[in-house]
Amino acid sequence: MFHDRYAKCVEDRHSRRAILSGIASTLGVSLVSPWSRMLEAADASKATKAKKVIYFYMGGAMSHIDTFDPKPDRPDIQGDVGVVKTKTPGIVFGEHMTNLAELQDKLAIVRSMTTETADHSKARYWLQTSYPVLNSIRHPSMGAWIANEMGKMNPGLPPYVLVNSGGNGHPGAGFLDPSLTPVPVADPEKGIENTELPSYLTEAVFKRRLTLADRIDSNFRKRYAGYQLESYNQMYKDAVTLMGGTDLEAFDLTKESDEVKERYGSSKVGLGALLARRLVEADVRFVQVDYGGWDMHNDVATNMSTKGPALDKALGALIRDLDSSGLLNETLIVLASEFGRSPAINQNAGRDHHPAAFSYLLAGAGIQGGAVYGKSDEKGHGIDEDPVGLTDFNSTITVACGLDPNKEHFAPNGRPFKIGGGGDPIYDVLS
Amino acid sequence: MNISVINLKSYLRYTSRLKRAILLIVFSTVSCLFITDVTHAQNRAAMQKRLQAAKQKQKQWTPPPVRLPEAVIKKPTKPVISVKKIDRGTAARQNVTDAADAIDTILASEWSAADITRSEALTDEQFVRRVYLELGGRIPRLDEAKTFLASSNKQKRIDLIDDLLTSPDYVSHSYNFWADILRLKERPDQQRLIFEPYMDWVKQSIADNTPYDEWVFAMLTADGKIWDNPAVGYQLRDRGMALPYVDNTVRVFLGTQIGCAQCHDHPFDQWTQKQFYELAALTSGTRDRDFSGKGGGGMSSMMGMGMQAQAGNAKKLAKELNEARKKREVPANALQFLRLNATSVNFKPTALQLPHDYQYDNGKPKQKVDAAVLWGKIPEKYKDADGRTKFAGWLTDTDNRQFARAIANRMWKQMFGVGIVEPVDDFQEGNIPVSETLLEHLTDEMLRLKFDLREFVRIVASTEAWQSRAIIHEPTAAEPYLFTGPALKRMTAEQLWDSTLTLVANNEWAFQRPSAQEVETVAAVDLGTTQFDDFMKIYKAYNAELGRAGYSKKIRSVAGYKDQILVRSSELPLQTLPLSHFLSQFGVGDRDSIQSRSEGATVPQVLTMFNGWTTHTMLERGSVIYDNVSKQKTSTGAIDTIFLSILARHPTVSERGMARREIETAAQSPAAGCGNLIWALLNTREFMFIQ
Repeated sequence: MFHDRYAKCVEDRHSRRAILSGIASTLGVSLVSPWSRMLEAADASKATKAKKVIYFYMGGAMSHIDTFDPKPDRPDIQGDVGVVKTKTPGIVFGEHMTNLAELQDKLAIVRSMTTETADHSKARYWLQTSYPVLNSIRHPSMGAWIANEMGKMNPGLPPYVLVNSGGNGHPGAGFLDPSLTPVPVADPEKGIENTELPSYLTEAVFKRRLTLADRIDSNFRKRYAGYQLESYNQMYKDAVTLMGGTDLEAFDLTKESDEVKERYGSSKVGLGALLARRLVEADVRFVQVDYGGWDMHNDVATNMSTKGPALDKALGALIRDLDSSGLLNETLIVLASEFGRSPAINQNAGRDHHPAAFSYLLAGAGIQGGAVYGKSDEKGHGIDEDPVGLTDFNSTITVACGLDPNKEHFAPNGRPFKIGGGGDPIYDVLS
Repeated sequence: MNISVINLKSYLRYTSRLKRAILLIVFSTVSCLFITDVTHAQNRAAMQKRLQAAKQKQKQWTPPPVRLPEAVIKKPTKPVISVKKIDRGTAARQNVTDAADAIDTILASEWSAADITRSEALTDEQFVRRVYLELGGRIPRLDEAKTFLASSNKQKRIDLIDDLLTSPDYVSHSYNFWADILRLKERPDQQRLIFEPYMDWVKQSIADNTPYDEWVFAMLTADGKIWDNPAVGYQLRDRGMALPYVDNTVRVFLGTQIGCAQCHDHPFDQWTQKQFYELAALTSGTRDRDFSGKGGGGMSSMMGMGMQAQAGNAKKLAKELNEARKKREVPANALQFLRLNATSVNFKPTALQLPHDYQYDNGKPKQKVDAAVLWGKIPEKYKDADGRTKFAGWLTDTDNRQFARAIANRMWKQMFGVGIVEPVDDFQEGNIPVSETLLEHLTDEMLRLKFDLREFVRIVASTEAWQSRAIIHEPTAAEPYLFTGPALKRMTAEQLWDSTLTLVANNEWAFQRPSAQEVETVAAVDLGTTQFDDFMKIYKAYNAELGRAGYSKKIRSVAGYKDQILVRSSELPLQTLPLSHFLSQFGVGDRDSIQSRSEGATVPQVLTMFNGWTTHTMLERGSVIYDNVSKQKTSTGAIDTIFLSILARHPTVSERGMARREIETAAQSPAAGCGNLIWALLNTREFMFIQ
């Protein structure tokens, strides 16, 4: 049901735009159309590309020096967090990244990330949409773009799920169809709550209630028809479909054994990674897992001693599981944060905001394992080699998914946008 | 009614408590609702007999205990917050009308220039709902809506505006507004700070209607401990972050973003890094530890977990605590409690240097910066004051027009949904006001009113423009939105929660956040004299009262219902609520970034409206809507009650027909039908949006 409706909405949109694209093609530009998408898919089949994405977002800004870009030669900068050797001589990680150090040959590390702002919410928006905050438009997040372009794999489940977040402050679907808004799962252990009707309510009565609501509401909806109401109408439809579906088990972590849970860890990121694994197994297209608490203005070493191992454990277990099930060949894993943290340790033994240099991680489908791209300077303060901006990075994700990073897509207001923001993909980390 | 009493009894033994509540509605409401209008006319006597019989049956059966907490069911007997009176005299009201007319005149000329017209005037039904939501933060209660609609008083709209502006509802609603801007949360710094005194102070300032400029000045210059002078909370919110403090302050109160210039010259705006540092030099030297020696016994530095207290008793105490901590004899929070007691804001002017990597020609790295303001000059009367006072004096001065302009625009947005300049905290060349005349007029008004924000709201609420039907504001639309009516808004998370509560609780104020004085009583320690054992005694008492577990237990014992705490959103301890809480689901701000609330739609929101706590509470005995519907003797009465309670309007003829069919025919019982109707109305967009 969900699928039919979703397919229809995509179809409607495409038929609308197909007419437009006829006009647009005379102007030398292309619009989103199913035809161009099919052509792309044919192209993409030459190389292994990602079908699904698990995107870890470290809210608060993760320290690069304490994770993937340590500076052991500079004790004044390195502070109290040590380092651990990886498989490759000469490449070290922060001391808590023990599992990831063992898996380094499967990871691509980008050590020359750089961004424009040190304001959390602005930087987060930029990272997630590839565009700066603008008053006149809301840009789609990467997950919405990818779900829109690649469609839905499992008709019974939403294509885009956001874990460990209530969904507030997330750019969501932006100007794309509201059905592409990620479904938030605030607590992985609870999954999606309130999906069952109260025991006293039969399905027939539920339907009658819905009809009654729709009828009473019809005048209001006519008068105020617009994007605000439309997004709610859409969510009401989605909720009804989800309740009626049989795939909700994918959200149920109690189906996992204690042994498995132990491997991922009981942290929010551990549970989030485990849920993400279940969701990609159930063919959800894009899963974002949030893990906040990296804004370590105070006592970075102590804070890292809990956050670091939790992240390492979760990501390590996920990569190993996906690798052994073969899903790593079709799943892209991304680890990003809004910016980095200052090399200088402040008077509260913490690190402050630092947008000039930081590190990201990629793994899985479409990615060259073992790659280390770019170089920060000796202090981890600025970039020495191959700076990578957010749009470059997001364009890399776009290519890893087999999509064209240079294609223009048009917002309802007629303005052109590119998935990934039109940056230069880092071909050195792409397989 | 098909269920006999005997069947009901045996059935109940096997059903859940929830089902019981539902059946109870079926049972008790049925006795009243069974008399429909039609049958009433047809055979009154027979119906009376059946009614008697039903009552008889009811007596034989003992209802299940009411599960809504007592404090929530009972109406409060005295005012929950005392709010400053408003001048309702003829002259004062004439001033309001004149001021509102002046705004309407400006708007009318803007509209005629753009060849557009005002949206239709609000009906009384639409007005009563909007004014309760936008001034009081919740929908009107049944009796409130009825009283207003029934009144033929010509002054009834301004009367209601004035009633609301002097109600606890206004205080609660305005508090939520500011809480989102000021990032108010109970424990902003993990366990170290306690912010209840500050949060309560913000609430009290609203209740006292403290002029905005005085209020801001107090926050920017406050010294002392949080319970002695709760306004220090503003400074402590950015504890240890002197430069972001300046960025945030300028952004919130001057609507200007200089944050980029903290690290480099602003890429799109005019600000240079040098200017940022010059401004920051004014407040350089604000500290949050007690350096004065009073009470703290001359502690000069307490850093991180190391706690290097260097003097007197406090030093000894810190050392003993640290040792006990190492031996795991005391919890880490006991150390945090010591730090809390050593936290006190004071100012000792300190030179500020340019950063070590300063890259522009107009200064050298690490060069000392001379303080300067961004524009205008520091008022004469602060000539000899310290830098922090100069900064506050300059920022809030009536000559600093941007201060008045920013708040006028912000308050306008609060009422109309869209600012004249957007975003409200980013005035710059690229963000042009849609009506400069209006913006400057409102700025003049703000100055004329001497920053009386409540009076400003009173005037805006009295304009014809505001009393017009909502229109859809598409941010991407080609034509600018010129306030021909307020923009259609989804209720904020807080409005939705408080509105739902209106349907459930007779008393939404069963719990209020503790005041500064109450916190001081349990938290204040004299660090100059207190010994280890006594310190731990105080700590334990404090923890039992205000620690996470103790606090939660206390509030739940008063207002707990299942997983929920049934008090106004402004009183809820947000930080202890799970991410899946109703308020978070509907987009309450995270209180970490400025104005982070959102009104986007998600699937879990809808699932909550379908199957979550709201539906269940409404169907509990003692809930407001349950009791009001139960009192009705006819289905017409029940239908009107439900519509007025939830949508603040009467049903249309066709809606009444639909509702009647549901209650009298389709549902298994009239009471179940009423339940279905309540559910249906809560799940309309009309309920969720403010038209």
